[in-house]
Amino acid sequence: MSSRAWSLRTACTVTVALAAFTGGVVGATEAGRERAQQSPKAAASFREMKWEELVPKGWDPTKGFRARSSGIASDWDPRARALLKEFRVVLDNAPTIETLDGASVKLPGYVVPLETVSGELKEFLLVPYFGACIHTPPPPANQVVFVRMDKAAAGFHTMDTVWVSGILHASRQETFAGNSGYLIDASAVERYVGEPRY
Amino acid sequence: MSLDANRAAPIARVGAVDAVSLRGARFRYPGAIEDAILIDHFAVGAGEHVFVKGPSGCGKTTLLSLIAGVLVANEGVVALDGHDWATMSSAARDHVRADHVGYIFQQFNLLPYLSVLDNVLLPCRFSRTRAARAGDQGSSAAVRARDLLAQMGLGKEQAARAASTLSVGQQQRVAAARALIGQPALIIADEPTSALDEAVRESFMRVLLTACAEAGSALVFVSHDARLADRFTRHIDLRLLNRASSIREEASA
Amino acid sequence: MSELLSLAVRSAWNRRFVLSLVMSSIALSTFLLLGIERIRSDVHENFSQSVSGTDLIVGARTGSVQLLLYSVFRIGGATNNIRWSSVQAIAKSRAVAWIVPLSLGDSHRGFPVVATTGDYFDHFQYGDHQSLTMAEGKRFSGVFDAVIGSEVASRLRYKLGDHVVLSHGDGAFAANDHADKPFTVVGVLAATGTPVDRSVHISLEAMEAIHLDWVAGAPIPGTSVPADQVMQHDLTPKNVTAALIGLKSRAAVFGVQRYVSEYDGEPLMAILPGVALDELWDVVGIGEKALLAMSLLVAIVSMAGLVAVILAGLNERRRELAILRAVGAGPRQVLLLLALEGGLITASGVFLGFVLSALAVLLLGDWSASHFGIALHLHRPGQDEVILLAGLLLGGWVASLGPGYRAYRLSLADGLSPRT
Repeated sequence: MSSRAWSLRTACTVTVALAAFTGGVVGATEAGRERAQQSPKAAASFREMKWEELVPKGWDPTKGFRARSSGIASDWDPRARALLKEFRVVLDNAPTIETLDGASVKLPGYVVPLETVSGELKEFLLVPYFGACIHTPPPPANQVVFVRMDKAAAGFHTMDTVWVSGILHASRQETFAGNSGYLIDASAVERYVGEPRY
Repeated sequence: MSLDANRAAPIARVGAVDAVSLRGARFRYPGAIEDAILIDHFAVGAGEHVFVKGPSGCGKTTLLSLIAGVLVANEGVVALDGHDWATMSSAARDHVRADHVGYIFQQFNLLPYLSVLDNVLLPCRFSRTRAARAGDQGSSAAVRARDLLAQMGLGKEQAARAASTLSVGQQQRVAAARALIGQPALIIADEPTSALDEAVRESFMRVLLTACAEAGSALVFVSHDARLADRFTRHIDLRLLNRASSIREEASA
Repeated sequence: MSELLSLAVRSAWNRRFVLSLVMSSIALSTFLLLGIERIRSDVHENFSQSVSGTDLIVGARTGSVQLLLYSVFRIGGATNNIRWSSVQAIAKSRAVAWIVPLSLGDSHRGFPVVATTGDYFDHFQYGDHQSLTMAEGKRFSGVFDAVIGSEVASRLRYKLGDHVVLSHGDGAFAANDHADKPFTVVGVLAATGTPVDRSVHISLEAMEAIHLDWVAGAPIPGTSVPADQVMQHDLTPKNVTAALIGLKSRAAVFGVQRYVSEYDGEPLMAILPGVALDELWDVVGIGEKALLAMSLLVAIVSMAGLVAVILAGLNERRRELAILRAVGAGPRQVLLLLALEGGLITASGVFLGFVLSALAVLLLGDWSASHFGIALHLHRPGQDEVILLAGLLLGGWVASLGPGYRAYRLSLADGLSPRT
């Protein structure tokens, strides 16, 4: 019967259209995610670093402060406030390890966006723990890395966890979100996928 | 053949009302310039078989619709089994039609998604009177339907099949059985054999006329095929009966 | 009528392929409407259950909805903390019956860590003024004791005595684990159906202990204190995230609220949980209404599809209609037949959608509870749902009257000789 053939044809067309649409949506999503993961150039040559390695051995900024603050009962005592201000300056000028300059490194961290170009990251701070610079004050400068991309990366947002691969420089920046002691010219920024811990 | 004609002689119901009665009937379609039907007098007696001849265009469809009460005449009386269509509401007309008329089309008479038996029983769905009539004499309507089908030459196996699986000739027989169930006062057959080939036509005519005679239903058989007229004792030429068509012919002449 | 119904069923079954597509679209729109309604009501219920018996919540001066979300539901983060001294001052107020401070910010394998005092177990209430009870074990007493919610225990399969390592923030990096200071599970709370189930509770002192190397808000590498030495330090908290307050008399609530907002020690705010919840629903309500409107549109579209399909098929069915006329059906009955058909398809679609939505709740209820904290329940259709279903059925039936009327006119016009 012709009506039956017509119904069959309509159903097939609808199914194909639905499949194509679904495929298109899935493909676009994957492509979006792909763009957020730029394949690193020669990944083997980047040394995975730990944040502790960026701190000069034996550096203790609290030296001298604990004794001076022991007499102050409350954090909001004006003497405490003055001490905190001093402490902040010490943190902002934390020493860096000069010999790391020029190393090819791969560092994991949280994103604090500084400059975006049409929603894509151009410059950001990389910090070691959640909430730094946003919910809590910036870490010491030797625990803050200023990251510069030559090609803006899409699909990253504040407090996303990422791997940054690039050349490390021991050069300081002052930004509105905090002071950084290191700079990385990033060749790749990828979404962080850690080893399963559980 | 003469034997057949005798056997097919209609059993007139004594004292019965005319199956069809037209008096001074005039009908014009809304918006039309001329009348489609203008008939002074036409009657079909109870149980009578009438062959109506006429090419298309002389008002055949319109006449059948008037007789069946699908259309209502503008003037005059059109009555079926004593019921004057013009005096009834459309709902009442539907009822009367369901109760007293069986109709056979030229083709595509059956609902393809019902079985043959269910097709035959369709009129009983819409008319309790017919259902009752079909189901009296101690047997149910379904049994009566099977009997009718058997009369038409269709067995139990065919009765259970879907209507669409039958041949055209078989379908027309089923249509006849359906028209006959419940012994309606009138059967209207509108070119029922035009789609059938020669061999099948003969047997169809035979079973139809026999069954109509047995049921006591009047039969108005419309066809352009003059060869079939021999089976009927009464012939009507629609071009002569319907003055409206002759008026039109004169006008165009 | 039953005759017509059986005829309608057989006729529809004959065209079941196309009609089933229409029926599926009606089923989908029913599923959507019912699903949205169920999620909406379950979310509302979940949230309302989570805070009961708390008169005020005190936090830094952020937005009231924000404060409610992070203090009770552990959603979002606090931008500022409040001082311990402020908490102590408020606790001394005559109107205050009890105060439960909360400190947030850490997590354990995706579950939020809540640092609080023992008063939490005494005064925190949920649902219909129900208190927390221990399913096993006891409250924390030692510094590195942890009391976990029922969801944490079942999902991670923890028993009393198990060691858990807490992480700072979202716990994405192993480097942010407080690995040198593992905690011991000493208690498991009974299930509550609230965010308590998903939380790991430790004492405020414990929170201080694991953040001893934090100075001025930043962890200083190399200054962390080994676990066995923490007791040598002053573990009094310096600040907390928020505090739940119970008053001696409810009449004092606005007075205390004002006192908190005018507190001159630091900028604070106090919210009434019920009021903040209503504000949350106001905000969310816009989205809810939009979703509802969209689903209604989907329903209308599927009804329109039904009408279109039946109308389009009418031409092919003129024969069928003529046959019905010939066997005694009046035009009115033809209309009724088509209306019945449309009503049947709608009813099947709505029923299918209803069944699908119930199935979805059954299958996805657990997943939703563990991922979003929203427990979906199978319950008998509430008044709103019944209205929705009735509306759909009525809408479909009324919509089918359109093609029914067309069929009526067609059969009137065609009479016994259809133009095919």
